[in-house]
Amino acid sequence: MTTMVSADTLDISFPEVDYLALAPLLIVFGAACVGILLEAFLPRTRRYSAQLVLSVVGLVAALVTIVMNVGEDRPAFAMSDGSRVDAIVIDGPGLFLMGAIVAMGVIAVLLIAERRVSAGGAFVAHAAVAADSKADAAQARHPGATEVFPLTMFAIGGMMLFCVAGDLLTMFIALEAFSLPLYLLCGLARRRRLLSQEAAMKYFLLGAFASAFFIYGVALLYGYAGSVQLVDINAAIAASGNSQVLLLSGLAMLAVGLLFKAAAVPFHVWTPDVYTGAPTPVTALMAACTKVAAIGGLLRVFNVAFGNSGNPGGPSLAWDWRPILIAIAIATMVIGAILAVTQTDIKRLLAYSSIANAGYLLVGVIALGQALGATLFYLVAYGFTVLAAFAVVTLVRDSQGEATHLSRWAGLAKRSPRFAVIFTLLMLAFAGIPLTSGFAAKFAVFSSALEAGQTSLVIVGVLSSVILAFPYLKVVVLLWLSQPVEDAPAVSMPGFMTGTAVTVGVVFTVLLGLAPQVLLNIVDGAGQFLAK
Amino acid sequence: MNLLADALASGTVTTGEAVTFWILAPIALGGAIGMVLARSAVHSALLLACTMLSLGVLYMLQSGPFIGFVQIIVYTGAIMMLFLFVIMLVGRDSRDSLLETLRGQRLAAIGLGIGMALLLCTGLARGIGSVTAVGLDEANANGNVQGIAADLFTKYVFAFEVTSALLITAAVGAMLLAHVERRKGDRPGQKELSRLRFRKGNYPGPKAGPGVFATSDSVATPALLPDGTESERSISPVVPVRELTPAEAAPKGTDGGKRK
Repeated sequence: MTTMVSADTLDISFPEVDYLALAPLLIVFGAACVGILLEAFLPRTRRYSAQLVLSVVGLVAALVTIVMNVGEDRPAFAMSDGSRVDAIVIDGPGLFLMGAIVAMGVIAVLLIAERRVSAGGAFVAHAAVAADSKADAAQARHPGATEVFPLTMFAIGGMMLFCVAGDLLTMFIALEAFSLPLYLLCGLARRRRLLSQEAAMKYFLLGAFASAFFIYGVALLYGYAGSVQLVDINAAIAASGNSQVLLLSGLAMLAVGLLFKAAAVPFHVWTPDVYTGAPTPVTALMAACTKVAAIGGLLRVFNVAFGNSGNPGGPSLAWDWRPILIAIAIATMVIGAILAVTQTDIKRLLAYSSIANAGYLLVGVIALGQALGATLFYLVAYGFTVLAAFAVVTLVRDSQGEATHLSRWAGLAKRSPRFAVIFTLLMLAFAGIPLTSGFAAKFAVFSSALEAGQTSLVIVGVLSSVILAFPYLKVVVLLWLSQPVEDAPAVSMPGFMTGTAVTVGVVFTVLLGLAPQVLLNIVDGAGQFLAK
Repeated sequence: MNLLADALASGTVTTGEAVTFWILAPIALGGAIGMVLARSAVHSALLLACTMLSLGVLYMLQSGPFIGFVQIIVYTGAIMMLFLFVIMLVGRDSRDSLLETLRGQRLAAIGLGIGMALLLCTGLARGIGSVTAVGLDEANANGNVQGIAADLFTKYVFAFEVTSALLITAAVGAMLLAHVERRKGDRPGQKELSRLRFRKGNYPGPKAGPGVFATSDSVATPALLPDGTESERSISPVVPVRELTPAEAAPKGTDGGKRK
C-alpha cells in the first residue's frame, strides 16, 4: 500500500537533452526508420532509388552534425538534480570515431547499392526462397532486396552509439543494435547462398554467445562498483572495498565480448568463414566500420574505466589486465599473419589480414592514452584501404559470380593493367610499404607504443608485419608475373558507385601515405576521452 | 516486502527467504541442465520455462516484484509459449543430430564447461561473500515500479529508445528470412486443384472419420469401410493405430447378434 501513496509524490523530471550532440545518432536511426516505412509504402520499382538517396543523405547529414559538434566535451544528458549521466558522451575521440564510421559507411552503402556490376546487385531478391530450388533459379535476375538499406543504417547507427556510450548498459544495447542487422546482412548473398546462410548462422550463434559474456561481465562489474558508468567503475577501483574477484572476472568477461567483435585471437574463429560467406559489400562494411566500432569501444572502456585516463599516474587496473591483453595482441598478430600466408582465397586472405590488423590495433589499446591518436589514425587508414580492396574484389568476375580463388587471379595484369595497378597499391598499403597509408599508420602506432614502453609488443608487431607482407606480395607477383589461366575471370567496368568507392579508398591510401600529418593533426586535436 | 528489504539491508537472510531459495535454486539449476540434456525439443522448452519461473520467484524474493512478474509474464508466458508453438509447427519429431563433426569436441566442451563453471562459482562465492548490499531502500523508496520508471526515463532513456531499433530490426529480419511473396502464377487455380483431386490413385471424396463404435470411440480406432476392411486413411498419421484387445473386439451383443 505504501507504494500507492508515494506514487503521487514521485517526481520524474526528464533530463536536459543536448539535441545537437544527439543529432548524428538521431538522424541515422531516423533515416533507418523512414527507410522501413518506405519499404512498406513505396511500390517495388521505386524503392531502390528512394532508399539509396535516403541512406546517403542521412549519412551525410549525420557527418555534418558531427562536424558541428567538434570541440564539445560533455555528456549529452544533464540530470536536473545535477547527478551525472554518462549514457552518451560527446568528446573528441568519440566524435572522430563516429565520423570515421559514417564516412566509411557512405562508401559501404555505395558498394551495397551497386547493381551495374552484376545483374540485380549482390543481394538476393527473396531470402526466404530455399537456396538452389527451382524458385531460386527463377529469381536469379530479380533486383535484390531493398531492405538491406535500412538494415545497414541501423547497423551504422548502432556502431556510432557504441563508440560514444559512456555506460556499459547503453554500450550493450548498441552492441546488439549493430550486431543484429549484420547477422541478417551476412545471410543475404545472391550467389553461393548456402555458404552465406551458414556464415550468418555461425556469426549469429557465436555473436550471441559473446554478447552473453559481455552482459555477464557487466553484471559482475555492477556488483563490484555499484554502477555501470565507466567513470564510476574507474572511481570504484580506487575506492571500493569490494572483492577484486568480481572486478577482474567482470573485466575478463566484458573483454571477451569486445574482443570477439574486434576479431582478436582466440575469439577470431568466426572471421574467415563469415567474411567469405557474406556478400562482399557487407564484408567491406564489417571489415571497415565494425572494426572501428569494436576498437573504439575497447579504447573507451580500457581508457576510461580500467586505465584511469582521466588521471594518468593515479591508481588503475592497468597492471592487472595488461599482461593478458599483451598475450592476446601477440597471439592475434602472429596467428593472423601466419594463417594469412597459407590462404588461397582473396576474401579469406583479407579476413586473416583483418585479424592481424586487430592485433596491431590492440597494441594501440594497450598503450592507452599515449597511442590513442595513432590508433584512431590506424583505424581510418586501414578502413579506407580495406573498403577499396573489397570493392575491387567485387569487380573480378566470371560466369559463377565473383572469382575469389587466387589461382583465378593469375596474370590479370596483362588483361587489365589499370585494375592491377590499383590492387597492387592497396596490397602494398596493407603490407606497410613506405609512402602508403599502411606504413604511416603502423609507424604511428608502433612509435607511440614504444613511447609508452611496450617494446616487446612493437618487436612482435614489426616481425609479424614482415610475415604478413608475404601473402600480399604473393598476390602482387601472381597478378603481374604469372601466366593467365584458361577462361580467366574478367574485371568488370565499375559502375559509378563502385568506382567512387575504389577512388576514395585509393586517394585516402595515397594521401595518408604522402601527407599523414593532415589526419595526425586532427587526431591529436581530438584529445582524450572524457573521463572526469 | 519492506520487511524483506530491511532484512536484506541489514545483511541477514530471513528463514522464509532461505527456504524458498533452497527449494527454487535446485529446480532452476536442474531445469537449466535438463534443458541442455533433453533430447526432445518440447522437453527442453518446458524445462527452460521451469527455470524461468523459478528465477521469476527468486527476483520477487529479492524485492524486485516488477522484474519478477515481467519474467513470468513475458518470458514464461509469451516467449516460451511462442517457442513451443514454433516447435510444434516445425514438428516435435525433429531432433538434433548427435553426430560429432569434430572428434572429441563434446568431451572437451563438457570438460571446459565444467572448468569454467567451477572457476566462476568459486570466484563468485568468494567475491559476493564480501560485498555488502546497499541501496535497496533508496532504489525502492518510491516503490519498485516507480524506481524502475525513474531510471528508465532519465538515465537510460536513450538506451530504452534504441531497443526499438533492435525490435524493428528483429521484425524486419524475421520477415526477410521467412516471408515468401506469392505472385499470381504461383498459386494453383481452380482448374489445377480439381485436376489434382481427380488424378489417378487419389480418392476425391472426404475421408472417413475415425471409427465410432459401441466398443471404442478412440481417434485411434480406424473406421470400417462398407466391405468391412479398416480404412487407414481415417486416422491421423501422428496417432499410432490402436490394436483392439480381444475383449474389446468381441461382439457385445448390442447388434442383436446379427454380426459375427
